[in-house]
Amino acid sequence: MDKILCSVATRGRYHTTLPLVLSAIINQTRLPDKLVIFDDNDEPEDMRNVAMYQHFFQMLDYKKVKWEWLFADKKGQHHIHQKANEMGYEWVWRVDDDAVPEPFVLDELYEWALNYDPMVGAVGGSILTMPTIFDTAKSTGKLADIDKEPNIQWGNITDTKEVEHLHCSFLYRAGVHDYNLGLSRVAHREETLFTYGLYKKGYKILAIPNAVTWHLKNPNGGIRSETNAQMFEKDEWIFRNHLQYNDRTIVVLNNGLGDHIVFSRLLPDIPNPCVFGCYPEVIPCRPIAEAIQLFGDIDQWNIYKMMARWNWKESLENAYRKLYL
Amino acid sequence: MIIIQPYAQKLPSGKLNPKNYHYWKELISLIDEPIIQVGVKGEEQLVPQFLQNLPLARLKELIAECRTWIGVDSFFQHLAHDCNKPGIVLWSVSDPLIFGYPENHNLLKDRSYLAPNQFLWWNYTDHNSDAFVKAEKVLEFL
Repeated sequence: MDKILCSVATRGRYHTTLPLVLSAIINQTRLPDKLVIFDDNDEPEDMRNVAMYQHFFQMLDYKKVKWEWLFADKKGQHHIHQKANEMGYEWVWRVDDDAVPEPFVLDELYEWALNYDPMVGAVGGSILTMPTIFDTAKSTGKLADIDKEPNIQWGNITDTKEVEHLHCSFLYRAGVHDYNLGLSRVAHREETLFTYGLYKKGYKILAIPNAVTWHLKNPNGGIRSETNAQMFEKDEWIFRNHLQYNDRTIVVLNNGLGDHIVFSRLLPDIPNPCVFGCYPEVIPCRPIAEAIQLFGDIDQWNIYKMMARWNWKESLENAYRKLYL
Repeated sequence: MIIIQPYAQKLPSGKLNPKNYHYWKELISLIDEPIIQVGVKGEEQLVPQFLQNLPLARLKELIAECRTWIGVDSFFQHLAHDCNKPGIVLWSVSDPLIFGYPENHNLLKDRSYLAPNQFLWWNYTDHNSDAFVKAEKVLEFL
């Protein structure tokens, strides 16, 4: 059964760092089952006509790694990652188009994902940008410390540490948490919000040693090259709100009266709830519009979407319990 | 006294909600007992006493007073569950194993009528009068 999808989102780097990244993926000691390249270029080219890429595609075929080149819709990389998240694989290894993994990175990430704990949600290694100046030995990787410490992945990780968020490139358990599609095209903090969301769902997030990816920081191109200040500010606002509500259980009931009645049975069991809903006569709540404004995307609290994802056969009340308790 | 709650929430598309029971008039004609209809303004009145847009507290009082109730898959069955008052739910496309309660008579004609995806908006499912049990069948459980 196919287990690992490798996802690369690219923009403006056909002829700079992308070939290095693809070469590094092809030469991993553990290969993914499939490589998908999401091409977000404004004027995409057909790389089947480029000799170097022809070699890559042939090597992938030879190594029996399925591959696909998809043209993205320029809505931001969070939309790209969400597509990869929903492609039916158990794990997704997301790799930036200027992040070159050493040959055993996927092997290390996957080993930790499988063997550390059944509830591992994401595993990341060091992402080193030369000249590296960060000593991250004391970094906690907790979201509350994000403004006070260098990201743990910016330095050489020497010991495995359970953290609360990762950035850039990492391996994650697919299909259990969604990217926040309420972020702007800039998608600022998208990976922090995503991995923290996994953490909040009870999954373990690991920063591990011996899995170095070299970040060949390139001022030109890149999936993160959007610089619109207003979009950036909007995303930062959403991120800060998640941070501010860190100790609350966010509940969003964007559904019918009956759903509110069913949910109300759980409310006493929910730690420090902050409820957004439609029927304040059933449960005291703040408006749904406010939740959208604060958190960007409220789909992660859509009980029916979750029930469909879980192929749910039990009661609605038990589905709520799974989502919130 | 029996409460009937005949209609599920109106759909944004204006289409008939596929959970709305098809044989209310036949069923009402078979019941020899006072009936109160509850619902919201704009729904068709089926009996002389139609109480519209009642607050939840008043609905709970009515539920406490009634002998039993008959409804479709809507908020009412959840409210009645919280009031410990069993009733009859007339099902069609939604699954009583997911959305219902075991203490009720959950009258589903056949599971083959259930919508393949139980978690989409009901906008996407057409109303099918054949999916419901007939009025005479309901009477057996009253």
